[in-house]
Amino acid sequence: MVLALIAGLLWWQGPPVGAQAVPKQLRIAVGIDADTLEPVGQTTTTISNIIDYFFETLVDMDYSKNPPQIVPKLATRWEVSRDGLTYTFTLRPGVMFHDGTPVNAAAVKFTIERLLDPRVRNPNRHLFAAIKSVDAVSDQTVRLTLSQASPILLANLTTTTASIMSPAAVARAGDRLPVAPVGVGTGPYMFKEWRRGDSILVERNPSYWGKKPVFEEVLFRVVPEAGTRLAQLLAGDVHMAMLPPAPDVKELRKNPRVTVVEAATDRTVFIVLNTQYGPLKDVRVRQALNYAINKKAILASVLFDLGTVAVSPCPPMMFGGQPVQEGGWPYNPIKAKQLLAEAGYKDGFEINFFSPTGRYIQDFQFAQAISAQLRNVNVRANVSTMDWPSYVGMILTPPDRTRVQMIVLGWAWPVLDCDGAMYGQFHSTQWPPGGLAPANYKNDKVDDLLTRARSEVDQNKRKELYKDAQQAVWNDAPWIFLWTQKWYLATSKNLEGVKVTPIEKWDAINATWK
Amino acid sequence: MSSYLLRRIGLALPTLFGVTVVIFLIIRLIPGDPARVIAGLQASDEEVRRIRTQLGLDEPLHVQYAVFLKQLLRGNLGTSAVTRAPVSEEIGARLEATAKLALCSMVVATVIGMGAGIISASRQYSVLDYTVMGVALFGVSIPVFWLGMMLMLLFSVNLHWLPAGGYGTPAHLILPTVALAAFSVAIIARLTRSSLLEVFGHDYVRTARAKGLQDRVVVLRHALKNALIPVLTVVGLQFGALLSGAVLTETTFAWPGMGRLLVNAIGARDYPVVQGIALVFAVIFTVVNLAVDLMYAYVDPRIHYS
Repeated sequence: MVLALIAGLLWWQGPPVGAQAVPKQLRIAVGIDADTLEPVGQTTTTISNIIDYFFETLVDMDYSKNPPQIVPKLATRWEVSRDGLTYTFTLRPGVMFHDGTPVNAAAVKFTIERLLDPRVRNPNRHLFAAIKSVDAVSDQTVRLTLSQASPILLANLTTTTASIMSPAAVARAGDRLPVAPVGVGTGPYMFKEWRRGDSILVERNPSYWGKKPVFEEVLFRVVPEAGTRLAQLLAGDVHMAMLPPAPDVKELRKNPRVTVVEAATDRTVFIVLNTQYGPLKDVRVRQALNYAINKKAILASVLFDLGTVAVSPCPPMMFGGQPVQEGGWPYNPIKAKQLLAEAGYKDGFEINFFSPTGRYIQDFQFAQAISAQLRNVNVRANVSTMDWPSYVGMILTPPDRTRVQMIVLGWAWPVLDCDGAMYGQFHSTQWPPGGLAPANYKNDKVDDLLTRARSEVDQNKRKELYKDAQQAVWNDAPWIFLWTQKWYLATSKNLEGVKVTPIEKWDAINATWK
Repeated sequence: MSSYLLRRIGLALPTLFGVTVVIFLIIRLIPGDPARVIAGLQASDEEVRRIRTQLGLDEPLHVQYAVFLKQLLRGNLGTSAVTRAPVSEEIGARLEATAKLALCSMVVATVIGMGAGIISASRQYSVLDYTVMGVALFGVSIPVFWLGMMLMLLFSVNLHWLPAGGYGTPAHLILPTVALAAFSVAIIARLTRSSLLEVFGHDYVRTARAKGLQDRVVVLRHALKNALIPVLTVVGLQFGALLSGAVLTETTFAWPGMGRLLVNAIGARDYPVVQGIALVFAVIFTVVNLAVDLMYAYVDPRIHYS
């Protein structure tokens, strides 16, 4: 029914919108309201994306290069000692916070120490756990001393959580910091106002150190319903809408007044197989389930081409990621039935199957498609759903009490490194309730590879370690490997230069208007 | 009258207390750990435990309730677990939007609904009557989010007359009001009609007509007041419900109201916000019900309170 009415919406356009002057205020429709506006405490990519307009990090990730490169931002130069335990950053001279105080080594020291302070709520603390101490060597030089070598520390410092904050403004804000971080950042825009449930407004920073953005103001409108976001874009109320309804993307791609921007991301979507449960203990059964799924068909007709078939447990766009099987796990239902028979399940089996709703692109819908395909090989899986916090609760139940047999899950990491993709899902210390690896998978060789890769400083050796780990995990099939999602948005045709990054963020600060 | 009022208010207090206990318990019975929800999927177990302690959630239940009650008696609704702003601030930020939409919808629904009901009852079994009741049937059956999307399609995307959702100007208020009022209009129309028809059968109405009074005077001056009691009840209940927020309308039209706040808070397991809102709703309902009861006395002189 929703499909029909949205199809009607697209077919039935209003009078064409003529060329307009550059709008003073760029309006972007986003799907959720903020939980907190300060960098430390960020857990949602969309909100991090918004505060990236007024916060900046020491170093940035340039996704236009392949592989992505770490580039200067608030730090212009950095040196890493040979043993990997000391990082020295030289700061960019002359940069001011929005409250007028200078960006200096003391401010960086304050920021990083606050990241590690147990009294400050920081769900991403583990990204910086290797840092032992911070010293302001001079007014423009900062030294980080690590307790152990961490090859991903620099990449972790590009995440929004590590944004540099003005100590004076933080003190002035007190406990209003999460809702009104006035003057705290250094970005091309300054935080102006947060109307709870409604919008977040930022205005251009007149004394920004870098390239001046085109739009004087940017208003982020909170619009929870995807269809409404699309309606606002088509009505001209907003200039950019994130994640319009997936079924509409095909038509939108052909719409002459709209640009669809989409890109592959590191969000892998897969089906977790509880390797401690009944039939799933046998690797042949797990492999059979992989053979039974026609991923290409589902991507085309259920996901509207908004995904790319998975070729490895760690997407090739991540550091260390290498395709294990080009084209993904082959679709071969005959082989699937063969393997099942070999394992003693000639007549198949019943299994419970959970999926969230609205968490991943078309999640509940593709789960039903998968359930249908599994029935072809006599595996009877009925899809159930529940709300997200209950789902997380289910995932975190210890193996001896868990309901998890087959569940849909997605996994992404703010930094494109196989450590993020694999450690949390395949290391045996990450079984629930301590971790989020509900496959309860244990392979000593993989454990060893992943642990060594965490502190291996030699890039090539790291790649080798991950290559072996990916091969082992793929063959063990603790998941039904599905695909990586694309992230996408729709903009007015007049808005140019909008990009989507592989970490599910849009990049429109330097967008222009035609 | 004033002793009646005092008695009613006195009776309300144990009710409100009961509401706090029930909500406090129910929200904690739902599966899902607030600390884990706030920390997100990728946070370490240690971080989650730290957050749980900060939120006071590892204390035993009666201690948690005592903390909540103590704060409440000092006039403090607590602090949101998610934004760490006071719950009263979170609610306050949405109050204006909710009040505007509720008030507007109720006025529109009552005026149009009663008007339609009166016309229908006066011309019973005419084409007009059947049309009005037919439209009312649609109003009751159409899902509000579908109606909302259709209205946006027509008036925003196609005609560019009105904004497609959002909040700010009076123009933003029009479509959500129409979508939200549709259901109430239908109910009020049907109820007014049936109530009036029932009153028309009474002797005094026949007397009034026999006196030669104009139809309009009979209906509006004599019959309507007596027909109003059931309608008033419904209007009161509907208004109370609307003041609690209309989450489907708010979601469809990106209206920053209390309905969405409550639903999001439940989804985020933000216990203080859920408790705070539940209490505010309970107070609103109590006040609205009291107002309706007082209106009964005004409308029907046979009713008095002592």
